[in-house]
Amino acid sequence: MAEARAVRQSDQILLDMRGISKAYPGVQALEDADFAVRRGEIHGLVGKNGAGKSTLMGVLMGIRDADSGSIVMDGQELVDANPQTMLDAGISYVPQHINLFNTLTVAENILVGALPKNRFGLVDWKATYEDSKERLSRLGLTLDVRQLVEGLSVAERTMLAIAKALFNNARLIILDEPTAALSRVDIDLLFGFVRAQQEQGVAFIYISHHLEEVFEICDRVTVMRDGRIVGTREIDDIDTPDLIHMMVGGGVKEYERESSAGAQVVFEVRELSRRGAFEEVSFALRQGEVVGVSGLQGSGVDELAQGLFGLERMGAGEVYVDGRAYRPDSPKGAFEAGVGYLPQDRHRYGLAPLRSVRENVTYSVLDRLVGRLGILMRKDEQSLTEEYIAKLGIVTPGPEQQTLLLSGGNQQKVVFAKLAATQPKVLILHEPTQGVDVQAKVDIFNIINDLSAQGVGIMIISSEVRELIGLCDRILVMYAGRVTHEFSRAAADMKPEEILLAIEGGSVDADAKQPRPA
Amino acid sequence: MRTPNSHDLLEFLSRHFIWVVLAFTVVIFGLTIQGYLGLANIANILITGSVLGVMVIGQALCLMARKLDLSAEGTVSLVAVVAAWLMLPYRETDLAQAGGLGVELDPLIVIPLILLLGALIGFLNGFMIMKLNMNFFIVTLAMQLVLRGLALAISEGAIMPGTPAAFNWLGGGRVAGIPVSVIATIGLYLVFGFVMSRMQFGRKVYAVGANEDAARASGFSPARTVILVYTVSGFLAALAGWMLLGRLETSVPNLGIGLTLNVVAAAVIGGVSLKGGEGSIIGAFAGVLFLAMVNNALNLMNVDPLWVNAVRGLIILAALIIDAQKSRYRGRAGPAASQTSPDAQKAAAA
Repeated sequence: MAEARAVRQSDQILLDMRGISKAYPGVQALEDADFAVRRGEIHGLVGKNGAGKSTLMGVLMGIRDADSGSIVMDGQELVDANPQTMLDAGISYVPQHINLFNTLTVAENILVGALPKNRFGLVDWKATYEDSKERLSRLGLTLDVRQLVEGLSVAERTMLAIAKALFNNARLIILDEPTAALSRVDIDLLFGFVRAQQEQGVAFIYISHHLEEVFEICDRVTVMRDGRIVGTREIDDIDTPDLIHMMVGGGVKEYERESSAGAQVVFEVRELSRRGAFEEVSFALRQGEVVGVSGLQGSGVDELAQGLFGLERMGAGEVYVDGRAYRPDSPKGAFEAGVGYLPQDRHRYGLAPLRSVRENVTYSVLDRLVGRLGILMRKDEQSLTEEYIAKLGIVTPGPEQQTLLLSGGNQQKVVFAKLAATQPKVLILHEPTQGVDVQAKVDIFNIINDLSAQGVGIMIISSEVRELIGLCDRILVMYAGRVTHEFSRAAADMKPEEILLAIEGGSVDADAKQPRPA
Repeated sequence: MRTPNSHDLLEFLSRHFIWVVLAFTVVIFGLTIQGYLGLANIANILITGSVLGVMVIGQALCLMARKLDLSAEGTVSLVAVVAAWLMLPYRETDLAQAGGLGVELDPLIVIPLILLLGALIGFLNGFMIMKLNMNFFIVTLAMQLVLRGLALAISEGAIMPGTPAAFNWLGGGRVAGIPVSVIATIGLYLVFGFVMSRMQFGRKVYAVGANEDAARASGFSPARTVILVYTVSGFLAALAGWMLLGRLETSVPNLGIGLTLNVVAAAVIGGVSLKGGEGSIIGAFAGVLFLAMVNNALNLMNVDPLWVNAVRGLIILAALIIDAQKSRYRGRAGPAASQTSPDAQKAAAA
């Protein structure tokens, strides 16, 4: 296999990105990143969420302007980068959720914008089908060109999207999590097609959280962390534990919370199952305990979090809050039972951005602030808002500021305030530090610490393993819908490498050096 | 803390824009049109503005909840026809005129009846939109067609003149020389101004309009709020129908036709965004005043009636352009970078 790789992949550099930096307010998203892809190579790009992969790829696609750095493609420096110049240079992006015209045929999707016409100026369907069929067969792809795209499998759609890019003379294709929704059979199909194009000299950047597949298909792999390139390795020179080590880094822990777990159970989930999402999930949360839950996309963590808050169906099984049966049919019911939820997507579920900080903080407790005839009690409202602005350290010119004018971290604190104001018994925090700067992260850790010290049981769904280790008393790992591992501070087995391996679906007890699939 | 910058100025102007425009309008028309600021003409402006004003409240609520009510003008025409039909004596329909059903109900029975009818129509709109998940634009448009069709069918396309004096009091009466319709409209603005700024219902309307998903995740039901908004909108449209019929004393089959666009325009000119979640009742009031003043001026200036619609259309487009620019500018401004406290910056640097 190694020889095969050596043969088909030349050492010639196709893409050379140098010294790319990009800062957002409060965050250095990319710092002096060097990234190169060889001609005809499949190059893995891995790193945790927020490591800078999407920003780097955004710069490469011309949708983000880098603050500094240069991009050379095929010996030609690309100045004035915008999406069109990048496409013209032969760089194409195939997103995780494929963008095709689902209600049109395969042929129409291939020839869209350039459908052959007959002498009456009407579409020449015969030529359309023949032309598109011939184009596909040149790539070794057999699809029924008369079929509607919505009838294709996800793997077929991905291959069609790659084919379309190739028809547009792409020489470097970015694949973003292409296997997230694929079965093993479909993965084989897709990989076969990708390798066939590789033989023709096409290069791929392969972004994935599934390290197993990175080992399977990539020639080299580049690891990113905190906006920096940690390193690039030949795939034969590295194994899974080393790769994970590069991803998480070896630095000191960012935060260490004192445990405040009591004895009394405040939240108990018993054999909760929802078809296609999660199966037989059981765990308990004690007063003041912080439990992390981590898993890949599709492992069921996201569905579990939203189900427990009544945003989605909860599924079959039993849940108890403070010993009382709990089955929310809406967030309203969840709040009434004492369960709060910090949404992963604060822009969708968290904030009314046009409204003031005061209004956002008090949405969840309007019933408490209302006097006779439904009239709101201004004074109570004001003092409650000011109390939480002070408690959570929300940086705002005042309670009347529109929340959309706050920084990401402060917006997140407003959502926290809204939850804390309900005085919950249980809090479910979904990626609480996503998209906030370093200082706001520490503030949020402190908020979590304070809340748990007050006896709130806290469940944190996060892919930031290092943060979880600093915060949590226990960490549960979910894989393919089930809780597969439990790590705890008490057992002193919360090691980032092992947890990440478990998230990947590997076993900790078995051989730590996972054999590469042949 | 923060020094005022161009963003603040723009924000201030966009928030109070309508008052600046209104002041200019008063000065310009007052100086150029003879008798424009005379008592008789001011009364005229306010009387014609009051029907529009009542409808704008309902529409503003819908817009704040990020919805739209295209059926309101249909409600106006239907309740007017139904009211006349129930109150007027029976007579054979000839080409131009129709009589009532012959039951000759007392206005004191008819008035609550039509208000209830309006509220019911609004409830139906809200129910279909929120509970049956139907598109608000199409639902209310279809509803308008239904209501207008019913009005035409009941009236057989003919006018019904001579509504009783007790019924006409709201639209045509005066108390101490002041038109009742003007007093009622101003009263409604005070009530709804209070409801929207100080009551739980108002707070929820803004929340639903600004972000329906977040409103739900904050523990209240957007469906209930929106259905109530439409019910109020239907009720107010019926009230406007009562007022208009009272002023005209004659039910006309196409009563209120084309009113919707004026109503939406007044609300938008007054700063109620089509994108939901913002605007105020007092702003909408200013929008109504502005539109009523312009309509009145167009009349007084003897602008060719054939051109009047073009002018109105331009004003509406101008209002929409401003509304669109407002949110576009905001999108670009994004979260302010300068919001981290000095302490936090120091800590981050350390």
